[in-house]
Amino acid sequence: MGSQGGFGQSKEFLDLIKSIGESRSKAEEDRIVLREVETLKLRLNDPNTPKYKLKEYIIRLLYVEMLGHDASFGYIHAVKMTHDENLLLKRSGYLAVTLFLNEDHDLIILIVNTIQKDLKSDNYLVVCAALNAVCRLINEETIPAVLPQVVELLGHQKEAVRKKAVMALHRFSQKAPGSVSHLISNFRKKLCDNDPGVMGAALCPLFDLITADVDKYKDLVVSFVNILKQVAERRLPKTYDYHQMPAPFIQIKLLKILSLLGIGDKKASEQMYTIVGDIMRKCDSTSNIGNAILYESICCVSSLHPNPKLLEAAADAIAKFLKSDSHNLKYLGIDALTRLIKINPEIAEQHQLAVIDCLEDPDDTLKRKTFDLLYKMTKSSNVEVIVDRMIEYMISINDSHYKTEIASRCVELGEQFAPSNQWFIQTMNKVFEHAGDLVNAKVAHNLMKLIAEGFGEDDDTADSQLRSSAVESYLRIMGEPKLPSAFLQVICWVLGEYGIADDKYSSSYIIGKLCDVAEAHPDDDTVKAYAVTGIMKIYSFEIASGKPVDLLPECQSLIEEMLASHSTDLQQRAYELQSIFTLDAQAVKKIMPVDSTCDDIESDKNLSFLDGYVQQAIENGAQPYIPESERFGISSISDFKSHEEHETSAHALRFEAYELPKPSLPHNIPPVLASSTELVPVEPSYVADILHPTSAPSASDAGSSELKLRLDGVQKKWGRPTYSSPAPSSSSIDQVKVQNETPRPDSASSSKPKIPDTSYISRKQQIEISPEKQKLAASLFGGSAKSEGRHLPSQKNSKTQNHTSDTSRSSKAPAPDTAVKTSQPPPDLLDMGEPSIASSTPSVDPFKQFEGLFDFTQETTPVSTGGVDGATKDSDFTSLFADMSLSAQTHIDPNPEPNGLRGSKVEPSAHQLNKGPNLKEALEKDALVRHVGVTPSGQNPILFKDLLG
Amino acid sequence: MIRGVIIINDQGKPRLIKFYEFQPPDKQQELVRSIYRVLCSRAENVSNFVKADSLFGPDVRLVYKTFATLYFVFIFDKSENELAMIDLMQVFVETLNKCFREVCELDIVFNFYKVHMILDEIILGGQVLETSSEEVANAVDAISRLEKNANSMIPSIPGWQR
Repeated sequence: MGSQGGFGQSKEFLDLIKSIGESRSKAEEDRIVLREVETLKLRLNDPNTPKYKLKEYIIRLLYVEMLGHDASFGYIHAVKMTHDENLLLKRSGYLAVTLFLNEDHDLIILIVNTIQKDLKSDNYLVVCAALNAVCRLINEETIPAVLPQVVELLGHQKEAVRKKAVMALHRFSQKAPGSVSHLISNFRKKLCDNDPGVMGAALCPLFDLITADVDKYKDLVVSFVNILKQVAERRLPKTYDYHQMPAPFIQIKLLKILSLLGIGDKKASEQMYTIVGDIMRKCDSTSNIGNAILYESICCVSSLHPNPKLLEAAADAIAKFLKSDSHNLKYLGIDALTRLIKINPEIAEQHQLAVIDCLEDPDDTLKRKTFDLLYKMTKSSNVEVIVDRMIEYMISINDSHYKTEIASRCVELGEQFAPSNQWFIQTMNKVFEHAGDLVNAKVAHNLMKLIAEGFGEDDDTADSQLRSSAVESYLRIMGEPKLPSAFLQVICWVLGEYGIADDKYSSSYIIGKLCDVAEAHPDDDTVKAYAVTGIMKIYSFEIASGKPVDLLPECQSLIEEMLASHSTDLQQRAYELQSIFTLDAQAVKKIMPVDSTCDDIESDKNLSFLDGYVQQAIENGAQPYIPESERFGISSISDFKSHEEHETSAHALRFEAYELPKPSLPHNIPPVLASSTELVPVEPSYVADILHPTSAPSASDAGSSELKLRLDGVQKKWGRPTYSSPAPSSSSIDQVKVQNETPRPDSASSSKPKIPDTSYISRKQQIEISPEKQKLAASLFGGSAKSEGRHLPSQKNSKTQNHTSDTSRSSKAPAPDTAVKTSQPPPDLLDMGEPSIASSTPSVDPFKQFEGLFDFTQETTPVSTGGVDGATKDSDFTSLFADMSLSAQTHIDPNPEPNGLRGSKVEPSAHQLNKGPNLKEALEKDALVRHVGVTPSGQNPILFKDLLG
Repeated sequence: MIRGVIIINDQGKPRLIKFYEFQPPDKQQELVRSIYRVLCSRAENVSNFVKADSLFGPDVRLVYKTFATLYFVFIFDKSENELAMIDLMQVFVETLNKCFREVCELDIVFNFYKVHMILDEIILGGQVLETSSEEVANAVDAISRLEKNANSMIPSIPGWQR
């Protein structure tokens, strides 16, 4: 076997690979591959190509596709090859087809027939090849075509075929659950197959089915427990051992299934306690696979109904994982800890230092896992430290996917556990600053809402403190380049709303800042819209409070620029801003009430406030309003016409279908206008528009209903000239100014010192100044201790604390504990295997062994062949390469000498050299080790017969 | 389930790509490139696991291991155990070693077909099929013998070389 006299491929293929290896650039490689594609196209399409060459061509085609080039022209040849009688060609064809085609490809239909035939073949290898293809190529439509044969194969005499048939059925149920729902009993039946391999295969579909619907399979709990018991007691044939663990993959699958079945089911869980406990005790924690089982057991324990004894064992195992030097085990330890703290939050405290080590580990995977853990254990006492850490990490990474995840987690934790609003705002600022474009837009709106609503209590001073600290922080931040759009929107809104609320900053200062923002982001219409509305608010507040207002030059140019904007929304806003200056203080006050974002706006649908106006108009000879329904119902077309004509006469240009009366218009009139009926010039819909940005920060990019509103206003601009009618003269503004010198109510709190901000900073410094892990640990974990009336966050105490908690736990729940004890079986004789394993390597430090885990296992298994073998292969190698230039090797392998190729052997050969000289010896050695290590048990062919009846 | 098995060399060249859910060729290349980028950025002596949810969706992870010049990568979801995947990879490599006597990168390049054959005996449709490298090697052997016997019309191997 092996390399079949070298590599078993033609010189052409060798040359191809050689030249690809030699190519110096991607372009050169592409040229070579394209040439190869042309050659293959010619050869494959040539009817005279000998059959035995076809396999090689197809393999070369696969290679070409793997390098990223189009090979679709050859798909049909692969399909043709599956039809061939010759096994080699057929199998190559199947391989190619499974790699080339997806299950919905048109060519599949040409293969189904062949698959059907091959499934019936006498040769089980042909059947296997067909089953491989079935798993990959059959889709929902073609399942019925092969289903009968596959089901029949479940009873095939060869276990390899039965196994694959189970897998194929599983695949069907994944792809189209409906198509095999009547066959699910087969999976149950296969649990009692004579061959443990087939039984193991049946676990895979059952796992999926149980995940989908647990309740249907509760009756299998006993069977699964029994099977697991038999496996753990080494009653399977020894061939199923892997690194001296009995059928570990089956154990893992079973543990996964048990944990699904045990979730929230006390009765089922109780049936499992004994076996899970047994497995945890028996696990060989010096081997990789042993730890895999141990980890799986912890996962199982964490999802079962809690059992104090098992939890204790799990906690011990986690401790071992976390203390290990292996990053893999630390990773699993953290993961297991994350699962276990759901049941017992105190466990994390015992491992606080280990957790912090992992948090500072250079390994990114481990770090992320640790952040998952922190995320799960966050509470109000430690949220500040955790979110701080998260943000720090978020800033340091580039992966936008993960950045988004962390940012949204920070927001979530902040919203849930924020100790104070100041903190929340500061945190959100940081999140927005560094990942603003990645977080949900809703978060920005939530933040604005929070600033507007404050604490939700009737504590006005606290609210205004919050706002002024927000304003201050934004004024500081906004100068920085490259702030994300969402964040700028928040800034503009907050500055507009509260920028001058506490009289600390002059209106022109804030307006100047807002103009700067608009100017710095010429391409971002949303930000510009927010900025203009912010400016409008500031001006309105100033006008309303009767102060003299003059339009800043930069603001003027901004307005002019926007009046010419392509965005109608921006135009609209610019016009609105312009018109503000034409109104008197009273009107402006109504339009833009100070600090009214949280007020509900009710609309008077009956328009009762217009009654007087209407009355007056009718008295002056206007036609009375006829509701739309009546108009059509009475079908007084002439009436309608005349009504329309009357309207039309007002304008020069008029098209018939242009302006049907809009019944929706009146909805937008807010009650605020009730007292201002004398201010006719401002169109009701227009007022609603102006008010709108104030009431809903989502302004321009908000829902469709709001969009509609705005469009109404825009139409008006084209329609009637009412839009910017200059009714109250500017003199009236002056007049009002004199009258309204009273300060706004909101500014009362303006002189408050900025306490919250500084306190935040000092807290932050405190955290940063104390780098010792102990402190960090205390802040991370101490919180829980505090909240639960404990005071021992430090490591020294954790041990005793652990102890007390243990005792308290066991005293709390003595009943299940004893139950477990009594239900434990007498020590199994077969268990003796374990101590003997340990004794076979007594002098080896278990942790040393860990480090060289794989190397160690290599040495005890016959897998690695001796150095002699290697040497012979070397000579093989040289002879093979004799006709190739040396440079070919240099490019495939860094070392030019043929001997150097040994350096690139996949298995490090250094280990093998100082080991037994030949394969046979190694085999014998291994057999001996296994003999010593494992008490062999007789084969038990009808192992699971008794389980299901 | 196991989503895919990939072997890449230390230059980023794919040596084996096998996805158990179909991925179009372009996407395959893209995935291989992104995986290679991630693997390159990993320091030595860190864990063998990498979260791959940005490439493959939630809860998908990958386990990788370097053997000489090659990265072996297994991609799988939460229904598999990470450590067990490392062992499965070990089974795969052990089997390759058995079938090629001390396998090296060139073996994998040239015997592409056989590598696939071995992998198909270990993983089928994304599920673990067989975990004993001995069994796998035997099965592969049986198939190879049969293929050879059934192919009297194919000239013996030396003839192939031209």
